[in-house]
Amino acid sequence: MTRLTKLRESQFAGAAVVALVASAIWQVSSGLSFVIPSPAATAEAFVQNFADPRYLSDIGETAQAVAQAFVIGTVLGGAIGLLLGLSAAARTWLEPLLIAFNGVPKIVLYPVLLPIFSLGGSKIVMGVLFALFPVLINVAVGVRTIPPVYWKLGRTVQASKWQLFVHILLPAIRLPLLTGVRLAISLAVVGVVLSEFFATRFGLGRVVLQAYSHGEYAQMVSTILLLILVAFTMSVLLWRLERRVR
Amino acid sequence: MQGIHLNDVHVHFDHPSGITIAVDGVTQQVPPRSFVSIVGPSGCGKSTLLAVIAGLQPATSGSVDVNGRRVTGPDRDIGVVFQEDSTLPWRNVRENVEFAMQMAGVSKGERAAKAAAAIELVGLKGFEHSYPATLSGGMRQRVALARTLALQPGVVLMDEPFAALDQQTRIFLGAEVRRIWEQTHQTVLFVTHDISEAILLSQQIWVMSYRPGHVIDVIDIDLPDERDASIVSSPRFNELHNRVWASLQKESMRGFQDVETA
Repeated sequence: MTRLTKLRESQFAGAAVVALVASAIWQVSSGLSFVIPSPAATAEAFVQNFADPRYLSDIGETAQAVAQAFVIGTVLGGAIGLLLGLSAAARTWLEPLLIAFNGVPKIVLYPVLLPIFSLGGSKIVMGVLFALFPVLINVAVGVRTIPPVYWKLGRTVQASKWQLFVHILLPAIRLPLLTGVRLAISLAVVGVVLSEFFATRFGLGRVVLQAYSHGEYAQMVSTILLLILVAFTMSVLLWRLERRVR
Repeated sequence: MQGIHLNDVHVHFDHPSGITIAVDGVTQQVPPRSFVSIVGPSGCGKSTLLAVIAGLQPATSGSVDVNGRRVTGPDRDIGVVFQEDSTLPWRNVRENVEFAMQMAGVSKGERAAKAAAAIELVGLKGFEHSYPATLSGGMRQRVALARTLALQPGVVLMDEPFAALDQQTRIFLGAEVRRIWEQTHQTVLFVTHDISEAILLSQQIWVMSYRPGHVIDVIDIDLPDERDASIVSSPRFNELHNRVWASLQKESMRGFQDVETA
């Protein structure tokens, strides 16, 4: 118990030291060039942004797109992963295609998506494409590695298809599924914001790009920090959940 | 027609290089409330035969009746204990024991009562809230046994349940199964390749031959009903052991040569 507490304390202390050192380097380098805003100026922009209704609506726009991309991506990835895990035929037909597609830098498809899904829809689709694969791959592998004796057990107690799904399959893949979901959240953020960098009217990606072209570097960095902070927090929360689950 | 009735059961497996005859015309019966073991060399089709009785594997021809009902698929009245560890790691002991009852739609209160009784029966009292990861292989098999017994099936099939365990645990658990059976007197068919285990547990032993698998010898075990692990050192036990071994020896050699020349 005390050792565990100590470890946690030292982990926290370590993170604090890293943050301190990073801030110091940041402070020093901001004095070297005007393109690097000082930590104080960035912090000020960070706080001020939240008083700006336009900025808040940009946050809402991005958050909404990320949430939609995450949900659709997880459901779709989970469904395809399930299919690949359970059906040998689906594996033979789809797996090479999916592996190849996963290797494609998905952002190159963005110009293709734009005319089909318009500005608002394309970034969601891009987010889905990013979020899809980690869930798909983790679920497929998770399902495939369920010990055959679990299915035999399910058959001998005459479990229904639904019971097999809820009481055998889902709990058996709980760990890879959580890993997939954790990665899907981060990647949904990446897909959406990346799309907003390229072409969009609203969203945090647009804020970053606009701040860049106007030379408002404090604004740019503070928004990037916000994105990192949100993605990081969600990842850490899910990671902790993952460790608590047996 | 209580008990298990096997009527000319054949099981063939087709594969690209030909047909394997796993079970070749077995006609036997397990009388109700008795304990019968099948012994035989690896690959003699004894596990296949058990899978047929469990309704997990269709017979190519012939039929199986369990307590007067024709077996056409899995049935909750036929309990199975597997060789592999089949405890579910995300459920604690009590939840694992309740699994089969839960699937069968048994009410929560009844489940809890029956699980508690089954856990006590297999000697796991005090471990209700432990997870399988913290239990030994022998204890996990007790959990699997309790799960099967809790549903109070008409017959219990055990497919080498202790094969993965060390010798001491095996003998000990064998004696436990015997003790439990003396309390429940369920109809049991037990598959093993261990002669001592079979004699210790059973009232009758079927010796199966190497492929094509059929029953070449039926030996009644006339040891007293009340037995424990100490019986393995009695003279009668030795005689029976020699008798089973004599039947088995020819078959094991044949299987061995078959593998060598294959």
